[in-house]
Amino acid sequence: MANFQHWLEQTLRGADTVAALMQTQWAWPIAESVHFIGLTLLFGSIAAWDLRLLGIVKGVPIAAFHRLVPLSVLGFTLNAATGSMFLMTFPDQYIYNPAFHLKVLFLGLAGANVLLFYATTYRRVDVPGARDSIPIGARVAGVTSLVCWMAVIIFGRLITFYRPNGCTGDEAITFLARCFP
Amino acid sequence: MLRTPGMFDPFFVWIESTALNRWLVESTSVFAFPMVLAVHTIGLALLVGLNAALDFRILGVAPHIPVAEFRRFLPVMWAGFRLNAASGVLLLIAYPTKALTNPVFYLKLGLIGVATAILLAVRRRVLAEQIPAPQAGRVKLLAVASLVCWAGAIVAGRLLAYTYNRLTAAGGFE
Repeated sequence: MANFQHWLEQTLRGADTVAALMQTQWAWPIAESVHFIGLTLLFGSIAAWDLRLLGIVKGVPIAAFHRLVPLSVLGFTLNAATGSMFLMTFPDQYIYNPAFHLKVLFLGLAGANVLLFYATTYRRVDVPGARDSIPIGARVAGVTSLVCWMAVIIFGRLITFYRPNGCTGDEAITFLARCFP
Repeated sequence: MLRTPGMFDPFFVWIESTALNRWLVESTSVFAFPMVLAVHTIGLALLVGLNAALDFRILGVAPHIPVAEFRRFLPVMWAGFRLNAASGVLLLIAYPTKALTNPVFYLKLGLIGVATAILLAVRRRVLAEQIPAPQAGRVKLLAVASLVCWAGAIVAGRLLAYTYNRLTAAGGFE
């Protein structure tokens, strides 16, 4: 694991163009703002879908909520892009950060939950007659998704409080002041 | 606007001496300041996330969901609102000088106020049990304004960490 972390850190350090861009004035706050906007698009569209699985808005077929997926994809793309930029600027600040580890873990669980849901339960809820009775599998998938994405948000927000040595400072401005050369 | 030490400083000094302020600022527990910030982000995701989904639905995304059905999400959105009002007050108690001497903070509050008023207007127009006469054009305009205001509030909120003039009343200008 330590070898992998070291390799990943060295590999990400190679992205010095991104790191240079992110160290220009306002680049970091702008990327953070986009990351938060992406978070709302992603979480909002997924939460609407999850709440439907839990039985809110029962009268509407689940397939209708499926059309919100482009919003989720847009939010995820924004956040994968800006998230990668943070990571490439200060790889060590994330790779050795326990809050970041938990964030990635819950991202993985949220992804696995989606795949599992589509592989098993989705066929049974995506039929016209399935409006009123929601299989237990769908409810479990809905709760799991909500919990995982909230955990992603919480551990994401906690990253700055668990920074490894070198860039201490629990607020962005102090962190950046100490981290930027 | 409150940039220099002024008439509100005694008030800031008082808040910064309260036990709640001391706990929020000085506690090393993850359940103090860090968790308040995390909760503030969860509330943001619930309120603005679902409101954005509603706005995009009004603008034509996911056309097979009847717009009025989004009223079932309103309780969740208000829960997010209350969560953020409460966590926001705690953040304000933690750093009153930092927020209240920064014009960006008032911009953020103004944008939240307008966005909330827009949500109430949208609720009246398309989320009621009895939907009044269709006014699709007006409602689409409201949906765009809602997205713009919420995005602005998020950006303003994020910039609070970078644009403040004074951190604490006692500590002066950090």
